[in-house]
Amino acid sequence: MTLDLQAYVDGELPSDRRQAVEAMLSGDAEARELVEGLRRLSLLVRSHEPEIKVPASREFYWSQIQKQIDLAEREEIRRPAGFALGWLRWLVPAVGAAAVAVVVTLRPSREEVTLAGTFDSAQTESSAVVFRSESDGVTIHWID
Amino acid sequence: MPLSVKHDYPSAPDESLVRWAQSGDTEAFEQLVFRHRDKIFARAMMMMRNEDQALELSQEAWVKAWQRLAQFQGESSFATWMTRIVINLCLDQLRRQKRVRTESIDEMQEESGGVERQLPVADPNPTAGLEQDELRRRIDEALGKLTEAHRTVVVLHEFEGLEYKEIAKRVGISIGTVMSRLFYARRRLATLLQSLKRERSE
Repeated sequence: MTLDLQAYVDGELPSDRRQAVEAMLSGDAEARELVEGLRRLSLLVRSHEPEIKVPASREFYWSQIQKQIDLAEREEIRRPAGFALGWLRWLVPAVGAAAVAVVVTLRPSREEVTLAGTFDSAQTESSAVVFRSESDGVTIHWID
Repeated sequence: MPLSVKHDYPSAPDESLVRWAQSGDTEAFEQLVFRHRDKIFARAMMMMRNEDQALELSQEAWVKAWQRLAQFQGESSFATWMTRIVINLCLDQLRRQKRVRTESIDEMQEESGGVERQLPVADPNPTAGLEQDELRRRIDEALGKLTEAHRTVVVLHEFEGLEYKEIAKRVGISIGTVMSRLFYARRRLATLLQSLKRERSE
């Protein structure tokens, strides 16, 4: 109930609970005292917000901000080139891997085995083995 | 050759300065910085209680504001928008430092002791007779004695005017925790202000 009284002071109670609190307040002097205390304190703090000033001259403070803005803008200009290079770094191996996968897939397999999720080592004598798991929907091409 | 328009920056309203800054006018932005820098720094200082960090975070907030200026559509005032940016940066920093935590003695008391009804303010006006500046200083001092977790909810609620729900979202805690932290923080503040009054009368 104490937190309800605080919420009442802060205007955070829905109307039904606000009415219940008001009814309770009329017969509870201690609750009224708490509500008044909370109101006074809140008003006191709000109306005496500490005044703190920047401990630097206008010119110095602004120059620091301007420097950071310039730096961020220079980085922004540099970023597209770096971003493209970053992509290239991934693109080259990705294209290579894709090419290998295509070659392997298109190449007629000398032997294909379908295993239910396990690999039979006896089959590895061949130079190309395909492991396929229907249940998992996975196909692996193994090339010696 | 384009005509160069010289604006009267110091007397222009924020809305005009924002519009000019949005089209790349750094002088207009500098005027906004000049106009609101103390408020933004003060907010960072209240959250961090560390001058170097507050200075750094407030400057970072201005840099972010410049970069995101196109997103500002004027739904709130520019000062409110700026304050939200610096507060988010402070909350991120506090999270990084793991300083918003629940293992402090104060919070353990809060969690285990529940909330008592009375605020420990026997005097109906514990700060009566203090000059305004002195009062501000005393409140700042009292806020500095709260844990970061408690101070954060006080700053967001009392100075930023955020609702419980919004505070919960920003800080990443439940509404119930916001309510109990706020109550506990207020009780501590009342105690601290009461003891300041006692010190003064001795």
